[in-house]
Amino acid sequence: MLHGSLIQSGLENVYWGVMIVTYPYISGLVAGSFVVSSLSHVFHQKLFDDLAPLAVLVSFALLLAAPLTVLGDARQPINFWELLTRGHWPYSPIAFFILIWMAYIVLMLFELYFAFRAQNVRHWVQSQGHSRLRRFLTLGSRDASLAGEKRDKRILMILSAMGILMAFLFHGYIGFIFGSTKARPLWATPLMPVLFIVSAMVSGIALMWVVYVLVMRFSHRPVHRALADGLLRYLVLFVLLDLYMDAVDFLTSAIPAYTQGPTSQGFQRILMTGPNSGIYFGLQLGVGLGVPLIGWIIPQIRRSLAGGALMSLAVLIGVFAMRWDVVIAGQEQSKISSNLVTVQIPWTGFDSVQTVIGVFAVAFVVFMVLAWAFPWQSWNQIPAMEHREEREGQILSQSAQGTNSTITTKGGHVLS
Amino acid sequence: MARRHILRQMAIAAISFSAAETLLQSAARAKSLTVLAAARRKQWTGENAAVMQYYRTKPKWASWTVPQLNVRDGWSEPSGWMSKIENSRKVPYIHDNFNRLLPVTKLPHHWVMVIDLRRCIGCQACVVSCKSENNVPVGVYRTWVQVVETGAMEPDAQGTVVTDRGTFTPNVKRFSLPRLCNHCDAPPCVEVCPVKATFKREDGLVLIDYPKCLGCGYCINACPYDARFFNPIQQTADKCTFCVQRLDRGLLPACVTSCVGRARIFGDLNDPNSEVSRLIARYPTTHLKTTMGTKPQVFYIDLDGVVAEDGADAFNTLYPYAVGTNTEEYDDLTGKVLLQTPMGKERGTR
Repeated sequence: MLHGSLIQSGLENVYWGVMIVTYPYISGLVAGSFVVSSLSHVFHQKLFDDLAPLAVLVSFALLLAAPLTVLGDARQPINFWELLTRGHWPYSPIAFFILIWMAYIVLMLFELYFAFRAQNVRHWVQSQGHSRLRRFLTLGSRDASLAGEKRDKRILMILSAMGILMAFLFHGYIGFIFGSTKARPLWATPLMPVLFIVSAMVSGIALMWVVYVLVMRFSHRPVHRALADGLLRYLVLFVLLDLYMDAVDFLTSAIPAYTQGPTSQGFQRILMTGPNSGIYFGLQLGVGLGVPLIGWIIPQIRRSLAGGALMSLAVLIGVFAMRWDVVIAGQEQSKISSNLVTVQIPWTGFDSVQTVIGVFAVAFVVFMVLAWAFPWQSWNQIPAMEHREEREGQILSQSAQGTNSTITTKGGHVLS
Repeated sequence: MARRHILRQMAIAAISFSAAETLLQSAARAKSLTVLAAARRKQWTGENAAVMQYYRTKPKWASWTVPQLNVRDGWSEPSGWMSKIENSRKVPYIHDNFNRLLPVTKLPHHWVMVIDLRRCIGCQACVVSCKSENNVPVGVYRTWVQVVETGAMEPDAQGTVVTDRGTFTPNVKRFSLPRLCNHCDAPPCVEVCPVKATFKREDGLVLIDYPKCLGCGYCINACPYDARFFNPIQQTADKCTFCVQRLDRGLLPACVTSCVGRARIFGDLNDPNSEVSRLIARYPTTHLKTTMGTKPQVFYIDLDGVVAEDGADAFNTLYPYAVGTNTEEYDDLTGKVLLQTPMGKERGTR
């Protein structure tokens, strides 16, 4: 019978199980998908305008599910209230969790409001005041003008810029939880936060690619290939960065001449020749980094939708393997015994595969609710009244005066 | 098309079931744990009729997943083992900034333990008395004695140990190594606790306030000596307390009392006439893993430097009662590993 990490049967055990593998994975997806949304909000890449609202929703749904993993691994989760009333910050890295998570939730709520405010107002107007959901989501705002939308975009830009910092903080501190544990030689490296952030970007972009294509398929809409290919380009860019970080990590932890004895011993015995070598070389490096890079080299794979899906799913698997290689492999190295600690992950029960599926299912349900509530669809956007007048005016003037005409609309915008 | 439809329905059903199952489990667990948490807080302040009634009807601790442990065994009752961490003299304690402990001479006591390895015979009496005194559950230890072997079997044509893979001469040294919480002066386990559930008492003891423990496991991972563990019954972190319940009443820790060779000596380092002070002044002492910078307060006399610093790969652990059953060294004992050689361990079956 598999007890997993609930029953500790020996002097040394793997105390943090598969739920703690999922925790940095989910929070990495949060950070990565948020950065995808900020491509449009902060860096003004028009190509990703259609994707930004979807990315915000995905990020928020995963953010709500992220603490379930930590609570699922804690033995006395009901004591979570202690984190608020007697948190040990700034001394304990885990105590930062509740602060950063709550700040991030607040920021995401603002982000959600301003990203959809104008559309909510217009949908409410279009429903002739009947849609109570739209009315609630506007929080009393009735400004559907173009000027209001532009102000929203300015606010969104500031919020998203703060959000990128917050995402890096949220995910970097999880890397710091491991990096600051000096008792575990494989964890105690200052590279940990950077490693985590880079792989978070990789996994977030891959997830947004998969979500975008799936959503378009299920909505029976054509996939915007320029958008998907643009995402893949960013994906490969960050995969290269991840490859660089992994190479640095390998050099500074695996080579005996360059590092402490226990670190290189542990790396070689666990990741290079031991029980995790298949996950390390096969999944983390081979599937997670090799498949997307080789796929990018071959044009047939790069240009096809199936090839993009292959690359994105490979990256998602590879990043999960990377989390596994940090969390589980780090604990397989014994502190006082003379060999490696063995680990068993149960299928059901506490800290099991079932709970991981359950957490992702919760995130999926939350995402479906959000996707139902917010008008994120690019084909469901109602343009501002000024825009409609512009378009009508343009059509009228074109029919009256020919194509090379210049008119000034009510909003003061010059069209040529 | 129909098959695709059915597949989609099945996928949706599976995902919904999994989500609902997880939420229901969490809710059920949260409810039972809420009642328990309330009961525990009352128990902390004193006995209470409602708490007694709760335990009478439901003699459960958080061990709900382990039915065979769900019995009245001293853990569930209000006066159970959970309430044994005492501080009857109200000694102040800290959670961080351990440099505050530097002027130790101003404090009345600084409890330390000296372990004289020349006198340890590996009888494991301290392990038994600790389990008996502190009701430590089966499978986990607050103190344990590793019987370790350093050195290796060296290939030798004239050797006395003959195997399929060659002839060897043993060039090894065997000794016993009692281990326990080092009650460090700069304890990483205390620093990383997110809810200040564990603390450093200013007379040197590192203790846990069990009802406040989240059970997150960070302190267990952060301890370089593996002195902490998850108590399988109360489902919180647990560790050696230097028998604080005895200490506060003027008694020695149970392991010290029961040590047949007087290998364990306990005392006050602030008192220059105490036995520990005299031993530390007279003999060279060392700690386990001094490079971790944790300032351990368990002093070893005649400790092999290989074991003290290198740990893991430098030695063999012998005898099963000091070995984790889920480590590869347990496999060694059951015959899956043949011999320790200078080239490394040779795997095989005996």
